[in-house]
Amino acid sequence: MASLQATSKRCITQLLRPRRQWPAAALARSQHTHSRKPPTHVDIEVAKAAAATAPQKPVHIPREIGPGVLEGEAPRVLLRPNNLFHAWDKSPSSQIRERASRIKHHAYCPHPEHKNSPRHIKFTCPDCGIPTYCSEEHWADDYENHLLICDALRESNEDEHDLRSGRFFPEFEYPGEQIEEQLINMTNWDTYLYTRGANAIDEDRQMRQVTKLLTYPITLASVVHELSPYDLRHRLTTEGLRSMAALRYNLHPPASGSGQDVKSVRINPPPVRLFILGARAESSLPRDVWYQLAYLFPRATFHLIFIGPESMKGREAEYPLPERTPDNPFGAVLERPSYRMKISTFVEYFHTLHEAHAFAPYDPYFDCFMLFHPGLGHPGSAAEWEYTLPILLDTKSPIICTGYTETDLKRDVDWVHNKCKGEFDVLLEPEENRFKSLRWDINDADPTDLSQSNWGLWAFRGKRYEATVPPPHTINP
Amino acid sequence: MFVTKALFASPRESQRSYYDASMVQGKSMIRARRPFVVKNALTGLAIVGFTAAVYTYTIRAVAQDNFEDVKVPDAPVQSAKASSQITSGLLSK
Repeated sequence: MASLQATSKRCITQLLRPRRQWPAAALARSQHTHSRKPPTHVDIEVAKAAAATAPQKPVHIPREIGPGVLEGEAPRVLLRPNNLFHAWDKSPSSQIRERASRIKHHAYCPHPEHKNSPRHIKFTCPDCGIPTYCSEEHWADDYENHLLICDALRESNEDEHDLRSGRFFPEFEYPGEQIEEQLINMTNWDTYLYTRGANAIDEDRQMRQVTKLLTYPITLASVVHELSPYDLRHRLTTEGLRSMAALRYNLHPPASGSGQDVKSVRINPPPVRLFILGARAESSLPRDVWYQLAYLFPRATFHLIFIGPESMKGREAEYPLPERTPDNPFGAVLERPSYRMKISTFVEYFHTLHEAHAFAPYDPYFDCFMLFHPGLGHPGSAAEWEYTLPILLDTKSPIICTGYTETDLKRDVDWVHNKCKGEFDVLLEPEENRFKSLRWDINDADPTDLSQSNWGLWAFRGKRYEATVPPPHTINP
Repeated sequence: MFVTKALFASPRESQRSYYDASMVQGKSMIRARRPFVVKNALTGLAIVGFTAAVYTYTIRAVAQDNFEDVKVPDAPVQSAKASSQITSGLLSK
C-alpha cells in the first residue's frame, strides 16, 4: 500500500537523521525564565564576573542520549497521551516537582481573607493539579474564582507533562526554504503554517507546543514582512508605514543579478540588525527557530544581537564567555547558524554598549529593536529601562514591544506615554498579537497569574522633527 | 550546524499531510481554510449563477417560437365535381 511505503521511508530517514538538539529539552530547561522579573536588581558586575571567571575546565556540553534526555540525567518516564494529568507535587518528573515546591515557597494564597496576613500555598487543586491555595477550605470558598482559570491551568499542566513525556515531536520539524513566488499568508497561525509548507499539525496540544517557540521570530516577521497583516487599515499608522517601508527596502531588496561567477559578483549591503533587548529565554531558543527569519526573507542577511544582563540564561553550557579582545571588546558570543544569519549575545546593558559606540551609527533602514516582554511599566524592571529608552528613541529606528497580558501591555504603553510625552510616535496600535503563543504559562510567583508569551504587540519610534519648513508654494500667474 | 535542506519534508510530502489516507481534509486544513470559506462559497455561487443565467437565456433565445396566439384560417371547402372540371379560362368547354 502506498501509505505503508511512505511511512517506512519516513522511518528510515528518521533513523539516518543525525542527532540534533531536541527542542523539548531546551523548552523544558527554559521554563524558569518565564516567571516575572524579580523585584531585586540584577547586579550586572556580579553576572559578568561569574561568567568570565567560571572554572577553566574544558567545557562539557552534555549530549542527548534520548529524546529530551541529557547525559547524566536519569532517563525520563515515558508518559502516554492519556496519562498526562498529574498533580504537580506528585509528578513523575523531578523538574515539575521542583517547580511545585518553588510555588509553595514563594507564592501566597489568593483568598481575600489574607489581606493583612499572607499565607503560603500548601493545597493542590484536585481538578487542575496546580498548588493554588493554602488550605482546602479556602479553595472551596474561592471556587467560583478558581473555576475561571482551572481549565487553563489543567491544560498547562498537561502540556508541561507532554513536553517531558518522551514522545516524538513531529511539530518541532520546522518548515524549510520557501521559494519567493510562493507567498506567505499571515492571517493567523494556521494559514501561516500551511503557506510555509509545514507538515500538518492537527492536534491542539501540538499547536500549543510549537507556537510557544515560533512566536518569537514570527511575531517580529509579522510586523516587518511586506505581506504583514498589519496595514493602514489594520493597526498600522502612517508613521508606521514609513518605518516599515524603510526596513523593507533592505529586507526585500530588488534582485541584483548576482551569481556564482566573477562577472556576476555584486556588492552586498550590510546585514539587517535586529537588536533583541532584555533577552532572557529568547537567546536560548534553538537556532533553527531563529533561522525561520532567514527563510521568510530570502534575499536579506541578518545579524541578531541579544543584549541584556540575563541573555545567557539557559546557556550555561557555553560558559565561560570569550576573552575580551580588541576585536571583541565586550566578550560577545558569536554564532553563525548558517550563511545568512549571524547571532551575537552580549551580557551587558544596552546603554553601556551604546555609550561605548559599539553599534553606532544606527540606520532606520537597517536597524530594528525588538523587546519581548520588557516589562517597561513593571515596577520591578521599569528603573532599568529608564536609561535605555531615550537612547532608543534617539536612534529613530522602530521599537517593537510585546506584553504578557492585556494589563502588562497597557501598563507598558502608559509608562512610555508618561516618560516620553510627545517624543515618540506610535507605529502599531497596541492590541492582541495574531502570532502569540497559544500555550498558557504559569507564573511560579503567583499561580493564578496565567499568561501567553507575546500576547500583545505594539511598536513606537522616536519622533522626527523637520529641521526646515518647505517654502510655501506660489501659483504662477 | 543544524538540519540541512535535505532533511526537511518535500513540498509534496507536506501538502499530502493535510489529507488523510482517503483524501479527506484534515483538521489543520479546515482551520487554515476558515478565513476564506464564506467568501469562496459566495464567489462560487456567483460564478455558477452566471453560467446558469447564460445557459438559461441562450436556451430560451434559440427555442422554437410559440404561435398559440395566432388564429390560422380554416382550409377552403371544395365539391368533388366542381373541382375536377375546369369551368373558366382557355381550357373550359
